[in-house]
Amino acid sequence: MLRDITLGQYYSTDSVIHRLDPRVKLMGTLCYIISLFCVKNPLGYALCALFLCIVIALSKVPVKFMIRGLKAIILLLLIAGFFNLFFTPGDPIWQWKKISISKQGIYMASTMVLRLALLIMGSSIMTLTTTPNYLTDGLEKGLGFLKVIKVPVHEIAMMMSIALRFIPILLEETDKIMKAQMARGADFESKNIIKKAKALVPLLVPLFVSAFRRANDLALAMEARCYRGGEGRTKMKPLKYKKSDAFAYIIIFAYLALCIFLGRMLFS
Amino acid sequence: MSSIVKTEDLTFDYIRRDEEGNVEGIITAVDNVSLDVKEGEFIAILGHNGSGKSTLAKHINAILYPTEGTVYVDGKDTSDIRNLWDVRQCAGMIFQNPDNQIIGQIVEEDVGFGPENLGTPTEEIWQRVEESLRAVHMYELRKKSPNKLSGGQKQRVSIAGVLAMHPKCIILDEPTAMLDPEGRKEVIRSIRALNDVEKITIILITHNMEETIYADRIFVMDKGKIAMEGTPKEIFSKVERLQSLRLTVPQVTLLAHELKKAGLQLPDGILTAEELICQLS
Repeated sequence: MLRDITLGQYYSTDSVIHRLDPRVKLMGTLCYIISLFCVKNPLGYALCALFLCIVIALSKVPVKFMIRGLKAIILLLLIAGFFNLFFTPGDPIWQWKKISISKQGIYMASTMVLRLALLIMGSSIMTLTTTPNYLTDGLEKGLGFLKVIKVPVHEIAMMMSIALRFIPILLEETDKIMKAQMARGADFESKNIIKKAKALVPLLVPLFVSAFRRANDLALAMEARCYRGGEGRTKMKPLKYKKSDAFAYIIIFAYLALCIFLGRMLFS
Repeated sequence: MSSIVKTEDLTFDYIRRDEEGNVEGIITAVDNVSLDVKEGEFIAILGHNGSGKSTLAKHINAILYPTEGTVYVDGKDTSDIRNLWDVRQCAGMIFQNPDNQIIGQIVEEDVGFGPENLGTPTEEIWQRVEESLRAVHMYELRKKSPNKLSGGQKQRVSIAGVLAMHPKCIILDEPTAMLDPEGRKEVIRSIRALNDVEKITIILITHNMEETIYADRIFVMDKGKIAMEGTPKEIFSKVERLQSLRLTVPQVTLLAHELKKAGLQLPDGILTAEELICQLS
């Protein structure tokens, strides 16, 4: 039952966006988030939405996958919309006792919801089009400059990729332990939350013990294969920028500049 | 032929300490062992649980250092820290649990892990990965996730991973203990091929006697000491002695032994069913 969980949310297909260097995608996501907070007028929002639509179309990822990401934050969207709608002071257009909706309120609520939705969809593009592997590689290479201030970038990336490798194994193990406990009468299906939590203790303890044992074994195996940190290590699949990546960078920066320019223009 | 692994009076103590760090007890896992393994040999080390065979194996890969005595791998002292990486590159090690020694998320990436650590140039890594995967017949599955493979296949990936580091010697610490019979056969076949074709020295540690019949020499360990030493034929002919060391003698050998005791004219140390049939007819 636990085996069905899919990890990450990579959507496997071949598209221009999929083939981009992960560093470009990381930078692109960052720029997109910045741009969302720079724009302050309808024209700007239209530009952001248009840019996202083009990227989604290029990525060949079905739109329903994007919508799925929004489901998780639907409550947040509703709350943000609600408060902005009712509690923004301004010219009232509808009033009932003390509650009022103002023109500004409607504008604020809709832009806030739109901004959040675009933010989530924009960042899910990256995880949908990049395998976890390339993502960690991209992080390692892209954040390499942090090594100067002693951030263990290589170690963090290695930890991430090992975690990704072991999650399915640990899930399988959880499944096994659960079945073994169920065979001896443990109750995991109970609706009672307290009972459910209690049933998790005998599940988590053996899981942790086994995870530590595995970690120990793996460390030994890595050392036996001459692993000694990132120093002096070469890459089997090094990241290399292609022409399309440079092109993508130009588009991203042009887009960001345009957004900042639009935001400035209407305020001056 | 020059010797590739050599131990001189190797002794290793596990020291158990209580919470304050006082010595609670000393267990001598390996006791005064001297071995000499020549280049290109296929060595098997037999022993039941707790006989010290795994501890011995960890010394050859410089994971443990001797309490007393010395271990030489390709002429280099393993307890000298300057030799550490040379020793580990020269003597690769395969462990028991196939899941806990695969690092990559794709088969080929895992095989590339060793050469990456050695600082091999990218093109050469690819070349080594291809060679190694072909040597264990796993090249077709190079793009698969290790989680989708059977136990025997995972263990062969591990062997390829070590092979890609171009070792002179491979130590296998009970590589088949967690596998099904089919997986065992696959792994043993790969090991024998490496020894025959690539001329790599193999040190196979096991408690399964059937896996040792192809070895050039067998060492039987008991309580940290080497109890018996010899060719498979010599070892297998001493059935009573093996049983007293709590080892399970293969059925065929046992049958031949019983038949001989009952008065049949048979030579000592029969290893395979074919051999027995041949002798009987």
